[in-house]
Amino acid sequence: MWLIVYGIISSVILALYAVGFSLTYGVSGLPNFAHGALYILGGYAIWNLMNVAGLSIIAAAPLTVITCGLLGFGLYWGLLLRVRGIPLSELVVTFAAGVAILELLTWSGFYGIRYSLPVFWEESIEIFSVVIDGQRILVLATGVALVILLHLFVRHTRTGLAFRGLAQNERTALSVGIEADWIGSLSVAMGSGLAAVAAVVVLPLGMMEATIGYEVLIYALAVAIVGGLESTTGMVLASFIIGFAQTAAARYIGPKWMIIVPLAAIVLVLVVRPSGLLGKFKELEERV
Amino acid sequence: MSAETLLKVEGLGKSFGGVMAVSNVDFELKRGDFLGVIGPNGAGKTTLVNLITGFVKPSRGKVIFNGKDITGRKPYDIANMGVARTFQMVRLFHNMPAYKNLIIPLCSQRVRKLRGGKYGERDDVAIDLLDDMGFERTSNVPYKTAGSLPHGYLKRLDLARALALRPDLLILDELFSGMSMAEVAGVLPIIEKLNTQGLTTIMIEHRLRELFRVVDRVMVLNFGVKIAEGSPDQVMDSDEVKKAYLGVDVEIPRGKPA
Repeated sequence: MWLIVYGIISSVILALYAVGFSLTYGVSGLPNFAHGALYILGGYAIWNLMNVAGLSIIAAAPLTVITCGLLGFGLYWGLLLRVRGIPLSELVVTFAAGVAILELLTWSGFYGIRYSLPVFWEESIEIFSVVIDGQRILVLATGVALVILLHLFVRHTRTGLAFRGLAQNERTALSVGIEADWIGSLSVAMGSGLAAVAAVVVLPLGMMEATIGYEVLIYALAVAIVGGLESTTGMVLASFIIGFAQTAAARYIGPKWMIIVPLAAIVLVLVVRPSGLLGKFKELEERV
Repeated sequence: MSAETLLKVEGLGKSFGGVMAVSNVDFELKRGDFLGVIGPNGAGKTTLVNLITGFVKPSRGKVIFNGKDITGRKPYDIANMGVARTFQMVRLFHNMPAYKNLIIPLCSQRVRKLRGGKYGERDDVAIDLLDDMGFERTSNVPYKTAGSLPHGYLKRLDLARALALRPDLLILDELFSGMSMAEVAGVLPIIEKLNTQGLTTIMIEHRLRELFRVVDRVMVLNFGVKIAEGSPDQVMDSDEVKKAYLGVDVEIPRGKPA
């Protein structure tokens, strides 16, 4: 029972890490390797908003998400626009931006015990004789709410339709007047904002330091690669497979396995099925 | 009768790694014109379309549309100014229902402006357009996933998608390739009617008999160079065209068939 409950929680956390990365990549084909950096920057932002500016979490959380979203916008218009359409350059630029953010945070002394966030809800509840604390309930609720909201957004709004159009066929989308740069930057901004959402709900579970940014990037990549890039269902499925494997391995083998499992999953999938479980790039398997 | 100039192409050229795909092409379209573009494979026809619609940046020359210099503008800007195109290889939003493919252009900045900021019944507009293209509104065809439709339908959906943008200039890049005779016979009158209603059209086509029935002027490209322009009969009488395009021994289809 413990394994099921905590497996689900780990899976939802992974999905929260990955959802922004997948959204950006799915819509605009941009691999945002600054995703993990934006995540931990979200933590840094909310910590400062609460502890330096003295805001309550209710005010600080949305401000954090907006800040990271705007940074995503800036990343697109300031750096990515120049290299748009050249995948390797896009990757290098976002990775460099991410490393710059993370090293700046470390340099400014962003590590140590004092950087921790208060949990939102002190209570804990018991389900099937397993005790779950309030913060993890919040993580679950956020994960479920995000999936529903994103689904509604993509299916029932004009911007959502433009997202799908651009994702399905870029050239056709351009030919019918979809402003690809605006939509592309919006997808980076939303992805970055989602990284901050994940940070706000997940980070109170532990301590904060800049290196977490690298871990989150690895988790997001693992989920995206295992699930298959551009597949939402694949993303959710991969989160659950890796999440459960992680939880089981950490409990029965050792806590170090939390990070080994996703790395092993990447290698395994690339060897066995390089397009991912539900990926659409079947060419990878059909190559001679 | 000197109608207003809609499109003016001046000295347009594009080289890909030293090879001139299109070189020094000039032509002009007045509102309501119907221009056919022909030429052997690799003559630069599709590159010309890509240059006009902004998918490829010209190495030299100018494209003036509606009095504005659109050379090197982004494809979506050019689309929103009123240039719609189809693609030689059908490009659709394959995972959406057929009619949703039209909702995207119906949501464009251009259509919003033309409709005075209102969207109105987009679904109805889409279904009407598809009905004209032979996607019967009473059937479930307009609601089927685009990717599951047969090729002839995809081509017509591509056309409907371009028309949904309510263009001033429509560019058809080998619309008829892969269509059956019956399908062409169904689509040709639609295109003809749109043109008589004033829609300026450029049509790139290998099926000359059908092309010559509808266009009033033909431009011939060979190795990226314009080698002739005139009425279908004039062009087909040109020795250079016979040599370059058809080979001298081939029987040439004549203008309007009897």
